[in-house]
Amino acid sequence: MNRMSQSLILVLLGGAVLRVTVLSTTYVNYVKPGFRPFLIAAGAVVLVLGVVGLVQEWRKPHVTETGPAQGDEDTESGSTHAAAGDHGHHHGHDHSRVSRVAWLLCLPVFAIFLIAPPPLGAFAARSEEAPPPPPALPADAYVPLAADRATSMELGEFIGRAWGDSRHSLAGKKVTLTGFVVRSSKKDRWYVTRMQMSCCAADAIALKVAVLDAERPPDDTWVEVTGTWVAPKTDKIPNGTVAPELAATEVAEIPQPFEPYE
Amino acid sequence: MPDRAVADRTVEIPPDAWGRRSAVAPVMPWVFALVVVLLLLGRFVLTPVLRAPALQTWATVFVAICVQALPFLVFGVLLSAAITAFVPPSFWTRALPRHPYVAVPVAGAAGAVLPGCECASVPVASGLMARGVTPAAALAFLLSSPAINPVVVVATAVAFPQQPLMVVSRFCASLAVAVLVGWVWLRFGRSGWLRVPSRPPASGSSWVAFRDAMRHDLLHAGGFLVVGGLTAATLNVVVPRTWLSSVAGVPVLSVVVLGLLAVLLSICSEADAFVAASLTAFSPTAKLAFLVVGPMVDLKLIALQAGTFGRSFAIRFVPLTFLLGIVTSIAVGEVLL
Repeated sequence: MNRMSQSLILVLLGGAVLRVTVLSTTYVNYVKPGFRPFLIAAGAVVLVLGVVGLVQEWRKPHVTETGPAQGDEDTESGSTHAAAGDHGHHHGHDHSRVSRVAWLLCLPVFAIFLIAPPPLGAFAARSEEAPPPPPALPADAYVPLAADRATSMELGEFIGRAWGDSRHSLAGKKVTLTGFVVRSSKKDRWYVTRMQMSCCAADAIALKVAVLDAERPPDDTWVEVTGTWVAPKTDKIPNGTVAPELAATEVAEIPQPFEPYE
Repeated sequence: MPDRAVADRTVEIPPDAWGRRSAVAPVMPWVFALVVVLLLLGRFVLTPVLRAPALQTWATVFVAICVQALPFLVFGVLLSAAITAFVPPSFWTRALPRHPYVAVPVAGAAGAVLPGCECASVPVASGLMARGVTPAAALAFLLSSPAINPVVVVATAVAFPQQPLMVVSRFCASLAVAVLVGWVWLRFGRSGWLRVPSRPPASGSSWVAFRDAMRHDLLHAGGFLVVGGLTAATLNVVVPRTWLSSVAGVPVLSVVVLGLLAVLLSICSEADAFVAASLTAFSPTAKLAFLVVGPMVDLKLIALQAGTFGRSFAIRFVPLTFLLGIVTSIAVGEVLL
């Protein structure tokens, strides 16, 4: 792989990373929002490295004359190139050759531009498993809920209250949950779902709450579901076997929130 | 360096069958200009077609792994290039104990100061070796740094709020495995197995060496990172996690299975504690194995190591690390958890 293609791959890669971080907010589909500065920095470094390489290649034929004026960098590459002929095939320098595996760096670029991967949705959350129980919190971690209006909360908090709150603070209280729709194999329910991500989409876990008494919108529709928690009928089923249930009074379609993950 | 070029050619993954070689040097700029135009047009033409949910989910996970690893890789490559270009070799002979058996634990403990995940540690370890650090000591550093650095320790403590011993166990077990592997490599390893990346003395200024080392490492390690990302994303989408729950209760098997899962999922070491905490059906020892093995052996690391140090290295190093990781986790889990 010659220097020109190396530089061009770096430019493509850096450009793609800056495309999803600076020019759009697509990066929230893949990583935590707080990761943005690091991504921008990394993308910029890669891009600059590629552009510097390109500029060097561009100037190559003239460098031998203007060498000293260009500073050390160009003197070095200029003299080697003058000796080696064109395109750096026999460069005489260890780092000028990179094995062809570097071509694979084009794949994420193609994926970013052509597939434009959306946030994880119903396909990733399709299995019927219940969400994993959240870490146990002390009983006073859950503040009492307002009685007169619906409280909006994250799915993780709802699941935590449903399973880990000995004072049953959810009982009889209206709550609003936000998530996307995932169908269930059971007839009487569907799931309002949110993926929980701790670092990147590869570690995302589906948080699901079963919605009863409501028509199912199409898969992957973003909805706000208002309703009350349905306490399990028996204590026999351990937490983490079936998703907690919500009897819905209202389902409103909403646009996808800025941060698709919880 | 002709022998270096030969070595490079023998470790190329994938082989020529990928067929992208047709892009010949003189037409390269035009080909790339065409590619850029196609990418921009393809967004309008192809994107509406490529809508299969399985493909999209796969692509999301794949891009997420690559995007998430890139800053760490760039950081590691920067550090590695800085080590090769600006730190004189004499520094390492002074900083590390002369006796290799003592240097291994010192280098392993030094892993605690590099805040990064495993993608950063491979280029740094290769830079250390190129600067004359004993390979076994550099390997101990390679294994310990992604698992015992402060960021990972804090993440583990947050993921296991009720189990502070999990943090202690992870720290001790990871350091122990790193040192053990280093010693075993020192005792039984042969120099022919490991391709120490040669860094010729800089021909120009150290800035030229810095830039060239960075470009080379970034492209090389980046390519192998993509190989690992491809495999991990595929397994992530294809293997349903429900398969796991059936073995959760079996004592030793569950530990091995979670160790294997850590290898397959290739989750960044800064996030794996959260995933481990979500595997509630498993025993603490099995979760510990997940946390110990994950940062040391996983698909993207295997690809990176095979690419950086050669295949004959990876074939021996990876199973050794995995085995010691499992055994140490069981031992530490017995004592502490």
